[in-house]
Amino acid sequence: MLSAGRMMSTASDSRLSRRDFLAAISAAMAAGCWRKAPFDRHAFTVPARSAVGLFAATSYSADLADIIFRGFQELGVNVAGRRVFLKPNMVEYEPGTAINTHPAVVAGAIAACRRGGAAEVVVGEGPGHRRDIEYLLSSTGLYDALREERVRFVDLNHDDVKVVPTKSWYTDLRDIALPVSLLQSDFVITMPKLKTHHWAGITCSMKNLFGVVPGAVYGWPKNVLHMRGVFESILDLTATIQPHLTIVDAITAMEGDGPIMGKPRQLGFVAIGSDLPAVDATCARVIGLDPAKVPYLPPASGYLGNIDTRRIDQRGESPDRFAARFELIPSLEDLRLPDR
Amino acid sequence: MTPANARASQSSTTAAPKPARDRTLFTAELSQALAESRRRDGAWGYYPGRAGRLESTCWALLALARHRGATVDIAPLRGWPAQKGWLIDVPGAPVNVAFNALAAVVLLQHPDGRPLAAPIVSNLVSTQGMALPQSDAIRQDNSLQAWPWIDETFSWVEPTAWSLLALKSARRQGIGQSSAIDVRISAGERLLADRASRRGGWNYGNSNVYGQELWPYVPTTALALMAMQDRRAEAVVRAALQSLQKDSETERSAFALALAAICLRVYGVTASAIESALVDYLELSRSIGNVVGLAMGLYALSGAHDVDGFRL
Repeated sequence: MLSAGRMMSTASDSRLSRRDFLAAISAAMAAGCWRKAPFDRHAFTVPARSAVGLFAATSYSADLADIIFRGFQELGVNVAGRRVFLKPNMVEYEPGTAINTHPAVVAGAIAACRRGGAAEVVVGEGPGHRRDIEYLLSSTGLYDALREERVRFVDLNHDDVKVVPTKSWYTDLRDIALPVSLLQSDFVITMPKLKTHHWAGITCSMKNLFGVVPGAVYGWPKNVLHMRGVFESILDLTATIQPHLTIVDAITAMEGDGPIMGKPRQLGFVAIGSDLPAVDATCARVIGLDPAKVPYLPPASGYLGNIDTRRIDQRGESPDRFAARFELIPSLEDLRLPDR
Repeated sequence: MTPANARASQSSTTAAPKPARDRTLFTAELSQALAESRRRDGAWGYYPGRAGRLESTCWALLALARHRGATVDIAPLRGWPAQKGWLIDVPGAPVNVAFNALAAVVLLQHPDGRPLAAPIVSNLVSTQGMALPQSDAIRQDNSLQAWPWIDETFSWVEPTAWSLLALKSARRQGIGQSSAIDVRISAGERLLADRASRRGGWNYGNSNVYGQELWPYVPTTALALMAMQDRRAEAVVRAALQSLQKDSETERSAFALALAAICLRVYGVTASAIESALVDYLELSRSIGNVVGLAMGLYALSGAHDVDGFRL
């Protein structure tokens, strides 16, 4: 069988494996090696509690604008007067698969932002795998959806860039070029598709940020991030960009050999929250993964957000309503929650 | 409605076919659009009003020259910021190896461009992707070192293809140390042969992961084929050429179709169906102001079929 290719590189093998990464971090913490943490402790505040909303949406024909707007209200999301930047996940196209954030969810988010009084809404993505943005825009249906909504699309791979300092340094990168359209917005919403990921375990709000790294600067498939370590890059990108909100397309998710070759799996909800680790941890639990074993989440909980259920307030539907046992590739089986 | 959807609709109805566009008029419009999107400093951004970038500028220069039947204007590259022999695409960001190689290809098409291309050629000779340990997950030889997108990363098909084209052009023109160039060309060709899909053509870099064959893509296959045009008797090249012609029927965008048309022209293969489709798909490039898409399209649709600047 031919596959569309993977967002992986052999370079990943030169970095730490999942288990090694967790072990290294634990050992460093235990030994007090990180007297100086790989981030400025004063620049981050983990909230005492974080709200994560799961809102039922049985299909893409549901009134997603209404569902997302109700989510905004329930979570106290205020986009009034903001220049909102929506960053969906658009990687590859193959009919009948669940690779990308569905255009209906993007359209719903646009409408919800407008209803919330956003001054401007822009959508942008920089596919890390396929360089051919026109092919992806037209084949996924996103181009038609955006034209109908009269929303500007920014090709983040080819946008103007500005080199900015990174705000944590797990990768050792001290600065990174980022698209100016993203930097100039004042409310960034990451909009991932919930999928298993053969390297990271899960791809959700935080991993989706790989797409903001400009390919025209770093190449395809954004090899520098793989060379510097997938987990490390997830952490540093989240710390540097600090999105204000995530809206997760978990209506039809992906299980198995994600993020491209997996199978569609109906889950039927949209997850919303401003604490990205909290949302990712909640989504991980829903699909049967233990957030404490997803390598980037424990370190994220030290400075970016909460992953412990005792510090997460669930809004909307209970995660139990959507709980599923996702199919995993063998190398990810050790991430599974004990009761799944 | 996107061109892709429009084509699907057309094929499912009995509506009269759309009349073919006047190619001369259409390319004149593209040329004008491209000229109008030029910045005051003579460069082009990826989109109108954006900062001047190396890749978009190179493609625009190539396209306008071909459409006008003129020698490529290298003035914007002559004044381009440079450091240690590399042209700098984004100040403060890593050097982009692939687009420097593209710039060398452009410079080598002008008699006065050779001295400007020489430092890039020299840098390309001394640049190589990282070698990595073998991996059970990936069927390829990780010891091969061709060209990366940026320094201290792995070798990939696109930068390798552009670098091969630049070094083969330089070798033909007697620029650089020929023995060193030969060594690097050999390394690049070995990598492309190693990374080719078994069904023919190239993905971005890996051809088989976790036991699954990865799809070849039209743009990468077209570029790699152009780089291997002097190896057309080799099985890997013949298979890729077949794959390109087949996949161009389904993988459609101005970017993919333009590169396919240019590549087929280099190989002396008629590509009139691809060129017709390209005219349709360029509407999307025009509507979003994609300078590289427009320039590639203009280049592909212009000039005589038996002449091409990418032909070695």
